[in-house]
Amino acid sequence: MRVVARTLSELCITVGALIVLFVVYVLFWTGVKADSAMHHQIDDLRDQWAKSPVASRVARPSPHRPAPYKDGKPFAVMYIPRLGFTWNKPVLQNTKVPTLQKGLGHYAGTARLGQVGNFAVAGHRRTYGDPFKDFPKLRPGDAVVLTDGTTWFTYLIDTKPYKTVPTDIGVIDPVPRESGFTEPGRYLTLTTCSPEWGHSHRLVVWGHLDATQPVDAGKPKALRR
Amino acid sequence: MYGWIWRHLPGNAWIKALTSVVLVLAVVYVLFQYVFPWAEPLLPFNDVTVNGQ
Repeated sequence: MRVVARTLSELCITVGALIVLFVVYVLFWTGVKADSAMHHQIDDLRDQWAKSPVASRVARPSPHRPAPYKDGKPFAVMYIPRLGFTWNKPVLQNTKVPTLQKGLGHYAGTARLGQVGNFAVAGHRRTYGDPFKDFPKLRPGDAVVLTDGTTWFTYLIDTKPYKTVPTDIGVIDPVPRESGFTEPGRYLTLTTCSPEWGHSHRLVVWGHLDATQPVDAGKPKALRR
Repeated sequence: MYGWIWRHLPGNAWIKALTSVVLVLAVVYVLFQYVFPWAEPLLPFNDVTVNGQ
């Protein structure tokens, strides 16, 4: 009898310790891992961009279509001043689970950066560095700036965060449904989860391309202090 | 079960204590490196997309 009670209580303590450890992992350790992964991705991009001089990439009017984004690899850096002046995250191709652990994910099959259509990006709201933690603070007029190493793209947000269900794939259409846009254009969609720790809904904001400028021309106005 | 492990560890109390600490750290390492990364995507925190990927 005593052995049974002792074993049972030891088991309870073990399970309790496991749960505490798991919470530490989810709340703290995924953030540590993601921050280092994101820095790594951004460093990789900067190295890559530094290796090929800007002039050679821009001046040559390419007769071919540009190379497709490589699956799971970073291709741009996103800046959103509203989420913090130092807020910058890498954007990787596709929205698979391991990709989103290293940065923001560009929905495969949506438009390329700056092109006609919808450049749609998903990101974690909580865990893995909490990139979109302050997503609900986004407001119409906020700038979302991206660079692919040759060009700065400044998108302006047009809508307040819109709450929808996870199956509502129309929100990343070329002319996103419910966004208020009616004609084809160069749009941006950001998605994350809602509620903060849940998965029952999604939060979405839409924007349009406002301006582009070559990286040689310096940072766009939205990023200057 | 912990008593059983303690009795089966070799050496005197100090060596047993040291071995226990190493064992605990090994277990935590395995959990953080392999078990939790596997379990975490099964929870809803990863669902941030609208196409169910």
